[in-house]
Amino acid sequence: MKRTIGERKLINSLENENAIEVNHLSKSFILPTERAWGLKQAIFNRLRGVKGYKNQKVLKDITFNVKKGEFLGIVGRNGSGKSTLLKILSGIYYPEKGSVVVNGNLVPFIELGVGFNPELTGRENVYLNGALLGFSNKEMDEMYDDIWDFAELKDFQDQKLKNYSSGMLVRLAFSIAIRAKGDILVLDEVLAVGDAEFQQKCNDYFSSLKNQNQTIILVTHDMGNVERFCDRAIMIENGKVMVEGSPKDVAKAYLDLWK
Amino acid sequence: MAIPKVLNKKNRILLKELTKTDFKLRYQGSVLGYLWALLRPLLMFAILYIVFSKLLRFGNDIPHYSVYLLAGTTLWSFFTECTSQGIQAMLSRGDLIRKISFPKYIVVVSTTFTALINLAINLVVVVIFALINGVMPSLTWLIVPVLILELYLLSLGIVFLLGAINVKYRDIMSIWDVCIQALFYAVPIIYPISMVANSSIVFAKIILLNPIAQIIQDVRYFLITPETTTVWNFFDNQFAMFIPLAIVLLLLITGSLYFRRKSKFFAEEI
Repeated sequence: MKRTIGERKLINSLENENAIEVNHLSKSFILPTERAWGLKQAIFNRLRGVKGYKNQKVLKDITFNVKKGEFLGIVGRNGSGKSTLLKILSGIYYPEKGSVVVNGNLVPFIELGVGFNPELTGRENVYLNGALLGFSNKEMDEMYDDIWDFAELKDFQDQKLKNYSSGMLVRLAFSIAIRAKGDILVLDEVLAVGDAEFQQKCNDYFSSLKNQNQTIILVTHDMGNVERFCDRAIMIENGKVMVEGSPKDVAKAYLDLWK
Repeated sequence: MAIPKVLNKKNRILLKELTKTDFKLRYQGSVLGYLWALLRPLLMFAILYIVFSKLLRFGNDIPHYSVYLLAGTTLWSFFTECTSQGIQAMLSRGDLIRKISFPKYIVVVSTTFTALINLAINLVVVVIFALINGVMPSLTWLIVPVLILELYLLSLGIVFLLGAINVKYRDIMSIWDVCIQALFYAVPIIYPISMVANSSIVFAKIILLNPIAQIIQDVRYFLITPETTTVWNFFDNQFAMFIPLAIVLLLLITGSLYFRRKSKFFAEEI
């Protein structure tokens, strides 16, 4: 089946005050209707003239902008299309129709600790993770101490990751995420990590970010976080932007979904 | 995907990190560690040597037959390792592809680099073995790296083509396993090509047009003994030597173009 491809443009413009521009973005997935996803089924389907797939529309004509330095919250039910939207912004999926313009260096955290390998040491994993996020060794050298300081795990940096507790693991992964020096950070439901003390530290850090010129897009289900951190929020329902406005209004609309 | 973008700094660093990781992890937890990279092909050679040279008396008329056999099995080991790991690469690194945006070919190339490092180590053994066996070093040895490059490009072409199909149709890996088995006997590794030529010249010619056979025979010719049958000294028509080369180029071009076209949707399909 022929699939159309929309546009994803990376620019680096100081004049443009938007960090991200999304215009009439649509995306659908081709999902197999049969369980078997192999050569045999493909041949059978072709012989029988059956379409082995259906078209699932996930995002329908989405338009919004994110200003530089803005902290944008994205909320919505499970399956509303939030993660797909983030993946398109991050360049993991291709837009099908419409366009996405990313102004500046975007660092995506769809999941924390991508590529972490239990057999490698903490140090090796940090560098590997950094390379995956597009940082050079020199840039990683600069961030390195900062990351371990924030994670408070300095004594463990030469231990293999398999000897870390799961709490320590997310602390390290999270520290990489928020210490990564990018113009735009994309975070997908990754806030609730660590013990109460670490939580507090993260909250303080996020609050302080509002004063710096860091653009953040945060997907979350926690309306407390939306109201505490975000400058603006949008709610996605059924692949469309339903509400766009102040964090308070969006949080209210989100909670009203279940009324 | 223009050339400068393919080789940009970001991609080179990622390629280096992934290759390093891959190499480190390959023999993780085994007592002998990296030594296995050497031992495995050597043990395979030992088995083949005992069975075919000592028991079945193959290649008695070829000088330095044991080196001749070792060169063949070493190149073959590289080919199988490179293709099997490469075809699987997209799937075994699926976690990365679903979560991070980067050029997908890097994953494939990094696994083939690991195989290339192993080959380099093994070739040192081949050379030492050859010297012990009384093979005279000569300037023609310098042609061998070019042939290795040809073998690498052939493997890369196959890996790009089949690896891309394998993302959607996982059957490819099983089919390739069988192909590898068949190819092993279709290439003059354990038997000298003269044995085939004795019964059927046509068969021997077909066998030699296979790029893998061409490369292995050429390496043997330039590294060990000019008494090797190669595609260019066996055919009357000199143009025959371009056929294996054309197959390699064709596979490489179609493979990488197909991979590039399909890789846009790997994150969705994996």
